Amino acid sequence: MVIGSPSITVHVLRLTFNEVKMGMQGDFLQLLKEQGYTLSVPAAMGAGHAMTNATTILAFKYRDGVLVAGDRRATAGNMVMYDRTDKVLEIDRHSVMAIAGVPATAYEMVRVLEHSFKYYRRTQLQELSFDGKLRAVSKLLKDNVPAALAGTGAVVPVFAGYDLEQGAAKIFFYDILGAEFEGVEYAVSGSGSPTIRGILHYLNTWGDQPLNQLPQEQAMVQALRLLTSAAEFDSATGGVNREASLYPVIKLITGAGVETVPDTTLKPLYESQVVRYV
Amino acid sequence: MYEEPYRWVEAVGNRRQYLDEQFKQGSPVVALTYEGGILLTTVSKGTPKLYEIYDRLALGGMGHPTDLEKLRFSLLEMAHVEGFNRSPSDVTGARLVKYGIAPVIKQAFEEVYKAPFIVRILVAELGLKPEKDALLTINYDGTFEETTGCAVLAATPAAQTKMTAYLKEQKPAILSLDQALDLALRAWAIGSLAHQQDESDQRADADPQGSKSGATAGAVPGIDALMEHIRNIAGGRTIECAVLERQAPGSSKYRALKPSDLSRLLPTALQSIVAS
Repeated sequence: MVIGSPSITVHVLRLTFNEVKMGMQGDFLQLLKEQGYTLSVPAAMGAGHAMTNATTILAFKYRDGVLVAGDRRATAGNMVMYDRTDKVLEIDRHSVMAIAGVPATAYEMVRVLEHSFKYYRRTQLQELSFDGKLRAVSKLLKDNVPAALAGTGAVVPVFAGYDLEQGAAKIFFYDILGAEFEGVEYAVSGSGSPTIRGILHYLNTWGDQPLNQLPQEQAMVQALRLLTSAAEFDSATGGVNREASLYPVIKLITGAGVETVPDTTLKPLYESQVVRYV
Repeated sequence: MYEEPYRWVEAVGNRRQYLDEQFKQGSPVVALTYEGGILLTTVSKGTPKLYEIYDRLALGGMGHPTDLEKLRFSLLEMAHVEGFNRSPSDVTGARLVKYGIAPVIKQAFEEVYKAPFIVRILVAELGLKPEKDALLTINYDGTFEETTGCAVLAATPAAQTKMTAYLKEQKPAILSLDQALDLALRAWAIGSLAHQQDESDQRADADPQGSKSGATAGAVPGIDALMEHIRNIAGGRTIECAVLERQAPGSSKYRALKPSDLSRLLPTALQSIVAS
């Protein structure tokens, strides 16, 4: 009898553990991990060369919500690899992640997030809270630290969305280790971002009106001007190429959801309010 | 003792009887394709019976809520892992049912020492084109059927046959969402009434002195009778409706209809249920 009792205790403990695990249901990344999935490949020793985050992405609040924009150039060293990249990726109907850094990792993260949010909603029969979504981004970045430090997988995203519970647009930016910071009015990332960070500060402080008062059309014009400025000083940021009718990606997030601004809207705005024939 | 083949067959037979008994209180589920996608409807009491599984997949169920939950989670897990590892277009209802849950349900049914799943399941899949829409039903013993146009779950095979026959007879080539909802609810009432009829017939058989109810078993009740039946039953329950809409924005096509949608779409004879 005495010998038998410890195994009973163990059995009870396991039952309790299983019940605790029930509470964690809805975690898609955990499910993937149980099946042997790892987000980032452990980097080879000595592979520590720094890669630049060659791009420009920006997000700022405007009157109706939040605007997120990014150029479309992908580079490898001094080579332009692709001029039609979409770096502003819709994760669900009310959130967008703009990415600077290694695209392979960034796209993978977006895929994980997209499935995680859907999986949570469908299993738990409620939307993942905005804070829960932010935390999910942090966790992915944390898992990715080895690759980020080795220089093979650094991603520096900007996460923007509309918090339906609070009825407010929100912007967050991250460092490569997964620390999350709230960009109260705006956030930028990528190699072209130092140029426009100053402009955003200036516009928001001494402009005709603060950014969060801008009507939709003016917000789009400012986004085009900002990205054109970034392209002026940063070779890794692709500006507007009118001959190829290539415009940046601009997405607007409001209470109604994410809306991608079509090139046919951007073209006349660019031609009438961005181009200067000096 | 179940090692003997005869005993095993007997045990499975008993199990069938036991399971049939379990669905007696169940509410039928109707799935119907309409011009914009697929509509699923039931009248539920307490626990919801319609769920989103994946971008283009919806689930309707009858039976024990916990068993339904278990299988719902299996479906969700399979669908999401597959959609992530391969692509969302590789997640199909047929694969999930035929190679996923149907074998599991069959195994549980035949392992006579263990508890079976007390469920009947309907999986609706929205195709990229209307002709690719598919409806799958799985019974508690793991048998599955794939159909197009309409599919139902009901308490008894007789009720199921009546509902399907009614839908096939009444369904026009093209129907809008409100027309589909009207027809689906009528089919639901047919199933619910057919089942009540079975029960009262059984009671009447057991008690030969009792008077037989007026309605003849074979005749299909008129629209007014069907609406009356829904009004009577739906009072303390919820008319649950979900759609898979081909034109919905984004990748998830599933949408549960809210009371505000229902009050707009329900036939006028039923408006009072939502209003109250």
